[in-house]
Amino acid sequence: MAEARAPQKSLPKINPVDRPFWEGAKNNKFLLQKCNSCGKVQFFPRIACVDCFGEVSWIEAKGTGKIHSFTLVRVPRNPAFKEEAPIYYINVILDEGVIIESRLLGDNKEKVKMGDRVKVRYEQTHNPDIKLPCFELA
Amino acid sequence: MRRKKVCFVGYGSTEYSRKSEESLLGQYAIAIRDVLNKTGLKKKDINGLSVTTQASPDTAPHVAEQLGFELDWVLNADYGGASGVGAVSRAADAIECGHLDIALLLAGNSFDRSVAHQRQLEYQRGNFVDVYGYGGPNSLMALIQRLHMENFGTTLEQVGKIAVAQRFNAINNPQALFREPMSMQDYLNSRMISDPVRLFDCVMPCSGAECIILASEEKAKQLTDKLVYLVTDAEKIHYQVANMLPEKTTFGMKLVGEKIFSEVKREDIDLFEIYDDYPIAVMIQIEDFGYCKKGDGGKFVDAHDLTYKGDFPVNTGGGELSVGQAGLAGGFLHVIEGLRQLRGEAEGHQVAKAERALVTGIGWLNYGRNLGTTSALVMERRK
Ligand SMILES: [Zn+2]
Repeated sequence: MAEARAPQKSLPKINPVDRPFWEGAKNNKFLLQKCNSCGKVQFFPRIACVDCFGEVSWIEAKGTGKIHSFTLVRVPRNPAFKEEAPIYYINVILDEGVIIESRLLGDNKEKVKMGDRVKVRYEQTHNPDIKLPCFELA
Repeated sequence: MRRKKVCFVGYGSTEYSRKSEESLLGQYAIAIRDVLNKTGLKKKDINGLSVTTQASPDTAPHVAEQLGFELDWVLNADYGGASGVGAVSRAADAIECGHLDIALLLAGNSFDRSVAHQRQLEYQRGNFVDVYGYGGPNSLMALIQRLHMENFGTTLEQVGKIAVAQRFNAINNPQALFREPMSMQDYLNSRMISDPVRLFDCVMPCSGAECIILASEEKAKQLTDKLVYLVTDAEKIHYQVANMLPEKTTFGMKLVGEKIFSEVKREDIDLFEIYDDYPIAVMIQIEDFGYCKKGDGGKFVDAHDLTYKGDFPVNTGGGELSVGQAGLAGGFLHVIEGLRQLRGEAEGHQVAKAERALVTGIGWLNYGRNLGTTSALVMERRK
């Protein structure tokens, strides 16, 4: 019974489209898609270019960027995260020019301000095959 | 698009409850009986049905079977918070085409635990948002509110004024779950949920149902002497979807507004039923509609009285913030309050001059951007 089990932290349900991204993260690489036709860089992973519908390839991002906005989550949707609240949930503008959603970690995260530089850091999840790209202040 | 011969004929509602485990079909039945009683319609007069809910796996045709509707038109209208306006638009299309002449647009939510409900998160939110321990829409709107405050100097008091005014409007609305007066201090002191979003920025989930009858002008004239016309309606879906650095504090409502106000004068709107999952969303829509410059929403709110007695009446029955959010029926609340006002039936919170209402709906928060759907309509009372 689902009710009887302790809540588990949410994990991605990896599919053929985003598998390269999660394989990359496992190897400490942040992968983005780039359109073979128009050159647009995009995230989250999609079946085709979100702009011109061209075919896409994967490129490695530098893993650096800046805080676009942030919030301190006092009440996580999934109760399994409750112990870690407040969770510093962030929007980051990667240096490649895409907004991504992520989480800020690190001892100095309380000091976060809009526009702060951040760099990626890979967190092992409870699934040994899945690492989650998070960020810390640079 | 300009509408000519489609009218709102009536509305029906249930009470709202935070605890009731009344089944979804039970909620529907209460709202349908209410609208049949109010309009004098018989069930068999209805030849179109639209259903909006997340609380049942059964889609509209299956709901129709269970409720015993033989129909010429059926719609599963799921556009998030934009479903109320979205269902009206699509039913109006079908009525204008002549597929049907009387549509019942139904929406509801239930806490009945015997039915599998609450659908899974969509792909992007499941794989790239929820994994970080986010706090649901509260967190995603908090990111937008922080940007608005940071970029434009918007204050908590300006955001809070919207919530406080709506509570004033709710005090005489018997359907509202929150009818106790709320002060600015109450708002500011409310518990932080996802900074800067606090408790009184959030809606209370509840059970309940709403329904609307939309009809051809010809039928409407036989049914009521309070003729409320659908004047114009428009929507935008996935504004800025291909922009990887989107402007998060501008919604697709900006483009919806341009269409709406090409048909109706901005100054001719008497009251505003603006989808209010959060006060900041109301403020941004006021800006998007061009009632002030982008970023000046805070100053606009300072300069106007948003209560039903005021010069810019917003969410005159209290909105979802004070009435409660019965799941996707939340977007129907705004349509119905507009209709109630135009029919002069808003006892205790009636706007003095209520001839034309602007009603909006906004639906779900997208990855890295803002809203998935934005829609609006104008309704008008004609003698
Ligand atoms: Zn492309």
